[in-house]
Amino acid sequence: MLSAVEFSRSGPFVPAAAAAPMEADGSANRSQQAMWSIEFEKVSKSFGAHRVLVDLDLHVRPGEKVTLIGPSGSGKTTVLRLAMTLEKPTGGDIRVFGESIVFDAAGKPISGSQEARIRRRCGMVFQQFNLFPHLTVLQNLILAPTTVLRQSREQAEKSAFEYLRIVGLENKVHAYPAQLSGGQQQRIAIARALILRPEILLLDEITSALDPELAGEVLDVVRGLAQESKVTLLIVTHEMRFARDVSDRIVVFDAGRIIEQGSPEKIFTNPESERTRAFLRSILNH
Amino acid sequence: MTWDWSFALKILPDLMAGVFYTVLVTLASSAIALTGGLLLAILESVSTAFGRAFVRFWLELARGVPALVLLYFAFYVLPEAGITLPAMPIGIAVLGIVYAAYSSEVYRGSLITIPVELRDACVALNLSPYVTWQRVLVPLMIKRSLPVLVNYVLGLFRETTVLFALGIPVLMGQAIVVADQSFRYLEPFTLASVIYLGMNLPFLFLLSRFKVKYA
Repeated sequence: MLSAVEFSRSGPFVPAAAAAPMEADGSANRSQQAMWSIEFEKVSKSFGAHRVLVDLDLHVRPGEKVTLIGPSGSGKTTVLRLAMTLEKPTGGDIRVFGESIVFDAAGKPISGSQEARIRRRCGMVFQQFNLFPHLTVLQNLILAPTTVLRQSREQAEKSAFEYLRIVGLENKVHAYPAQLSGGQQQRIAIARALILRPEILLLDEITSALDPELAGEVLDVVRGLAQESKVTLLIVTHEMRFARDVSDRIVVFDAGRIIEQGSPEKIFTNPESERTRAFLRSILNH
Repeated sequence: MTWDWSFALKILPDLMAGVFYTVLVTLASSAIALTGGLLLAILESVSTAFGRAFVRFWLELARGVPALVLLYFAFYVLPEAGITLPAMPIGIAVLGIVYAAYSSEVYRGSLITIPVELRDACVALNLSPYVTWQRVLVPLMIKRSLPVLVNYVLGLFRETTVLFALGIPVLMGQAIVVADQSFRYLEPFTLASVIYLGMNLPFLFLLSRFKVKYA
């Protein structure tokens, strides 16, 4: 279904092999900060008295596929929402390709145009698909290209057909979301995010609302994306096999903190933290 | 009390002239009500706390004072302030404003029911606030509001009867004029009732379609 040619069109990516080396603990070298696609430094987030993230440090290389795992409520989704500027951090700094999404270098609040520029480099796929129910599949796909990227309708439709072919739904072009299965809706949502050619793609529990059979078709699309494209992937999932297949790095969260991170092999075969072992036991035995 | 067919046929053209004005007022007032209500709902949603309080004050005023009182106020009091308008524009504007206040509550309710996740999707797609409103929120607000709004247009259509108080020749006004001139009340008001009922039918048909579609 997927080819290297198809996904290599997905943006001006920096090859992962050429990216800056990272310390074993995932921390960044500040002199190389522009080499990170996304950086969280001492980021905290609270909702009222509830602290969701506590002094989070996370640095992701361009093209890297990072999966966040951990129990529900451990702050994984909040990390993605902060990266997408859907939430503002309570403290700390988040940078996308070196550009702060909260304050600029002079400490001034981010401007609207800067926010738009940062958002243009990121795409997000949600657990509940979030397709616009009053628009057809094609209209869902071309809305952002025609209004954000200022593409002509013809150009946007051409792109839309390409991405629909990539996700295997070119025959659903005139269907409304309600006429599609959950898996098909999620594949459309992925195509809608990809059509903007983001450099960072945030996938938030994209199969949680699907039964296993439908989840499989969505995961296949993401597997192809992970293997063939150079887009940076930040994934939140409870599908451990999928996480193992697609990730360069697994980050384990608990109570708003990173308790462990490393290669999939290390995390799944030889985790250091007892809390990680307990979490993996509970989820793999489920 | 006997029904006089020849009298009924004789007054029918006068009543049909009233139908024309009733439809005209209903269409014009509905246009003001539906677009004004939408704008008020958007304005209230995007305003600061002060702006919201300002909008709410005028909404409560329009909803709280009977339409007839507002009509008399506009027709008799505004000229004292140097604003003199013919009865027809006043009637159209007052009914439009009153129903805009009602409609805005419907739109606002629809806006609240739009899942916040769709707004997240708009942010994730980097849509501007204008595009978000124009292409996503407003179409959804209208779609979700339609069944109730059709009901309100039906209510507005019936409410046009009060315009006879300003001498506007709507169907009710024409029926009263004919009745007062002839001292016969059975035929004018019976025919007016039948015509009002008949004109309701398209609205009732639309509502039944909505029920089938959204039930």
